[in-house]
Amino acid sequence: MRGSLHVAAALALVFMTSAAVVAAPQGDRVLPAEQYTTDKGRRLGATHARALHDLNAVLYHCWPWVETQRASIGFYRPKNATQDDRYLSVRIFIEQDASPIFSRLPFEQRAAAMFSRYVGPLLRRMTVSPAVAADPNLDGFTTILEWTKQAAPAGGRPIHETIAVFVDKATAIEYLSGRIDIKALATRARVLGFDGETALGAITLGPTYDDNFVSTYKVANYQLEQGVTCQ
Amino acid sequence: MRSVRGKLLLLTVVILSVAGCATGEEWNTWYTHRTHFASYDHLGFSVRNTEGGTPRVTRQDIALARDEGWWGKPITVSQEQILER
Repeated sequence: MRGSLHVAAALALVFMTSAAVVAAPQGDRVLPAEQYTTDKGRRLGATHARALHDLNAVLYHCWPWVETQRASIGFYRPKNATQDDRYLSVRIFIEQDASPIFSRLPFEQRAAAMFSRYVGPLLRRMTVSPAVAADPNLDGFTTILEWTKQAAPAGGRPIHETIAVFVDKATAIEYLSGRIDIKALATRARVLGFDGETALGAITLGPTYDDNFVSTYKVANYQLEQGVTCQ
Repeated sequence: MRSVRGKLLLLTVVILSVAGCATGEEWNTWYTHRTHFASYDHLGFSVRNTEGGTPRVTRQDIALARDEGWWGKPITVSQEQILER
């Protein structure tokens, strides 16, 4: 009984609070321009700040089943790059139901399924502003996809699986213009895998395919904020 | 004796290889039903909706649910392992 009261009180607090919360994405999802370590990074961050915040808003409103964390969006340099290559980078956590079929797939096939579903749509949204892709200081695109591993939690904490996909700008533009398909994109991308905090190194994806999930899936009863439109 | 060890080794390899790979049938099932695996049904947003009213889920509901930490702090790779500022 006491537990029920606690739950009811918590729920009441949640819903009372929700009325006061402005339904807008948090600006801290975008790395501030002053936090880049090189002039090239700072310049990109400042020049395209609006495009980054627009991307943040699109993900927040139009892909409500994914989550971004602080500084998930920015012009980062791939770790251990030999020069100051700047890639427009986005990291998303993908919420999805547990599936025994999905969990039985080898990691490379789970990664391929996520790649097929999200990399193309992300690239399209990352280049909505023509000025971003046209900027000569931009060298490529990074999409980091993470999802819950279907395994027993470790110490009560869920484990995430992650892939980091690096695509150079020329390849991305070829894909976006339809000159190469998703399979060629997957072949030319560099993909790193992670099991929790453990690096698996570069991986070769399983079969990739065109997946229209992002353009067709709707969260049941989801209501867009007034004035927001999604394409 | 050597032959028995060889057979055991072979059997182990076969079991491991079968266990580690999805069958073609499993992959096909995932592929053909792939849109099924992103439902938000488990979030339980129905508590927000009154009986007879039009059910709705707002972006606030989803954000607040996450902020409440329903899923716990995950074990995952840090951004610094992948990217530099």
